[in-house]
Amino acid sequence: MPGTNRITLSGRITGLDALRYTPAGVALLDFRIAHESEQAEAGGKRQVRLEVACLAAEREARLLAAAPLGAEVEIEGFLAPRGRSSRQPVLHVISFAFV
Amino acid sequence: MRVARVALDVPLPQLFDYAVPEGMAVVRGARVVVPFGKRSVVGVVMALGDASDVPPERLRAIAALAQDAPPLPEAWLELAQFAADYYQRPLGETLHAALPPRLRRPKPLERAPLAWAITPPGREALAALPARARTKRAVLALLAHGPAAADAPSLTTAAARRAVRELAAAGSIAPHRPEIAPVAPEARFPLTDAQRDAIDAVAAALGRFAAFLLHGVTGSGKTEVYLRLALAAVRAGRQVLVLVPEINLTPALEREFRACFPGHLLVTLTSAAAENERAEGFLAAQEGVARIVLGTRLAVFTPLPDLGLVIVDEEHDPSYKQQEGLRYSARDLAVWRARAVGCPAVLGSATPSLESWTNARAGRYRMLALPERARPGAALPAVRTIDLRADPAKDGVAATLAAAIEARLERGEQALVFLNRRGYAPVLGCGACGWAAGCGRCAAHLVVHLADRRLACHHCGRVEPIPRACPVCGNVDLFPFGRGTQRVEAALAARFPAARILRIDSDSMRAKGRWQSTSDAIRAGRADILVGTQILSKGHDFPMVTLVGVLNADAALFAADYRAPERLFAQLEQVAGRAGRADRPGEVLIQTRYPHHPLYRALVEHDFARFAEALAEERRVAGFPPFVHEAVLRAESRSLDAAIAFLRAAVRAAPREREGVQVYDPVPMTLSRVAGWERAHVLAQSRSRRALQTMLAAWRATLHGMRPPGDVRWHFDVDPIEF
Repeated sequence: MPGTNRITLSGRITGLDALRYTPAGVALLDFRIAHESEQAEAGGKRQVRLEVACLAAEREARLLAAAPLGAEVEIEGFLAPRGRSSRQPVLHVISFAFV
Repeated sequence: MRVARVALDVPLPQLFDYAVPEGMAVVRGARVVVPFGKRSVVGVVMALGDASDVPPERLRAIAALAQDAPPLPEAWLELAQFAADYYQRPLGETLHAALPPRLRRPKPLERAPLAWAITPPGREALAALPARARTKRAVLALLAHGPAAADAPSLTTAAARRAVRELAAAGSIAPHRPEIAPVAPEARFPLTDAQRDAIDAVAAALGRFAAFLLHGVTGSGKTEVYLRLALAAVRAGRQVLVLVPEINLTPALEREFRACFPGHLLVTLTSAAAENERAEGFLAAQEGVARIVLGTRLAVFTPLPDLGLVIVDEEHDPSYKQQEGLRYSARDLAVWRARAVGCPAVLGSATPSLESWTNARAGRYRMLALPERARPGAALPAVRTIDLRADPAKDGVAATLAAAIEARLERGEQALVFLNRRGYAPVLGCGACGWAAGCGRCAAHLVVHLADRRLACHHCGRVEPIPRACPVCGNVDLFPFGRGTQRVEAALAARFPAARILRIDSDSMRAKGRWQSTSDAIRAGRADILVGTQILSKGHDFPMVTLVGVLNADAALFAADYRAPERLFAQLEQVAGRAGRADRPGEVLIQTRYPHHPLYRALVEHDFARFAEALAEERRVAGFPPFVHEAVLRAESRSLDAAIAFLRAAVRAAPREREGVQVYDPVPMTLSRVAGWERAHVLAQSRSRRALQTMLAAWRATLHGMRPPGDVRWHFDVDPIEF
């Protein structure tokens, strides 16, 4: 399936659910990050602030679950809808680093 | 030349002729071994004649006459014939379904006597035996002092077994049956007036046919009534047939009967028993040694030459209907037997089937009511509903129920949480694309069993690992939808971390004896919260349970199956009956979105009669049983089209003469595929049972002449309960 879906986003962890497991035993972590940056747009500069829902699995989930609230992370991942009847995107973590 | 007409276990509506060898004493009812094709099979002789339509050169001879048991008695043959006719099944198949499996095999049964005694020739032999015949002398010397049990240690060494066999063959020792008298039951409480009236009414009818519906609320002492009546019948020289839905789940009833009828007086017959044991039980009843036969539905086929009383406990239980092979109703056959021999039949239940209720209302059965609990001062539990719209459930449990459980924990009492769905969750689904795990062989979802990390089909038994990711879209975040006992157990464990929680369903109780040890643990107070399915609802006394919580029962209110509300009421009334059976008052809380539904109102008011009358009226108006009689012709095939096409042809070939019988169109069953077989059926209905029976018999004869295409197989199901 062609199509590009690759996001790199940094932010502060603002919400961490408890680590949960799927029935097959896959560890999953729902969390949120608050992002702040300055971007170029239409020949000028602008401030960006947004909060994004994220989902990490397995190793990444376990590492992030241990992180303190407020930790800065840079995430590389892709967007997927929250559910079949939802248009709200969730950032799925492929890899991340604490910054 | 003598010719025997023999019923064989083949799906053909005919008997098979065999020549009777010179000197073989074959009678009707004899079990014989005959050649059939290249095999040796057991058959039952149904008739004897002097000639056969089979040409002499092709007529084969009976190979052997079974000597291990007397011929099957006439009444038993008539029962099998009736079952074959009524349930529209070939006689040979019906007879063999009614025989214990061990007696269907050509190898003779080696009978194991209960005890041995020395015979007069044996006493002489003891004196004459040479000294080197040490084991035989020891056996005879032992028995010279008096009869000994066959399983006595000194008779069961390898050498002793051989000696016993040889001595028995020589006539030196013979099987011995000690005289045992039944013991009057010890009353836990004085009989109530209602119990006394019920006993008197049935006792007065001993010796003639009469059907009684014993409608007794939970804890009203129905067992006591059964025991007293059984004792009266046995003392009058009669045998008693006692049917129960499931023996393992009702050990209390078996224990009480055993206490009254020790030793060989009582045999239990269930499909779980070892083959030899079941055959011995069958023969002990046929020979009149056993006076009480206590068993599950298959026990209805036990020959009972002195039958004088029939008891069907929990007569509403759907397990009395066999759902494969010979599809019979053990309750209905039990009443037929009572009528055939002329003795009373007692059908007992707290929630009678609508069939029996209607029979009682119409005066065909006599109603005997036990409206109060037998223990003095014991009251029925207070039943209340919890409105889930006002008090929403968290992890399946509403705050009101959680508080009530908490209160029981504080008082050191037990709470029972009832949920008739085993496993963790009934569906594993993908929230991203909508996929749900289905069984590859059945038209059903696979159930999540988290305890052993697998998906299981509750219809065909197929087991699969839980997929890591959705097979359609790859999403790993698969989600269990809905709630089973395992999930409720986990949620309660999280909410009440100090409580000892026991889950009781057919998964956790699979191991033999597990239910017995578990119920002992419950009674001993080694559990605080019980989470379980309908296993918990069957006739058990748990004196420390003072609270029963019922989780989502609502689905059955709106099911397509018109029997669903009847079953739901029975289940809830039974499980409610577990609360407060001892001296502590019980409380029942039912979580529902429909607190004003008439079914729940009737439960709250303990008013079975009102519920039954309303349900009966609905069925009457809608034209459902028991106000019409039903049968289905069912076809199974790997291809649904082939099954439907065969049924269409069958309907076209149905008898034209069928006044008063309505035949509907072929349709797939609700659960259209099980274990790879597509299933469809045609419903036939009539207000007249006789008209329906006449039509079915003619139809069956036609169908036996049709060759179904490919892999299509068919059968009738008379009085079906599954659509």
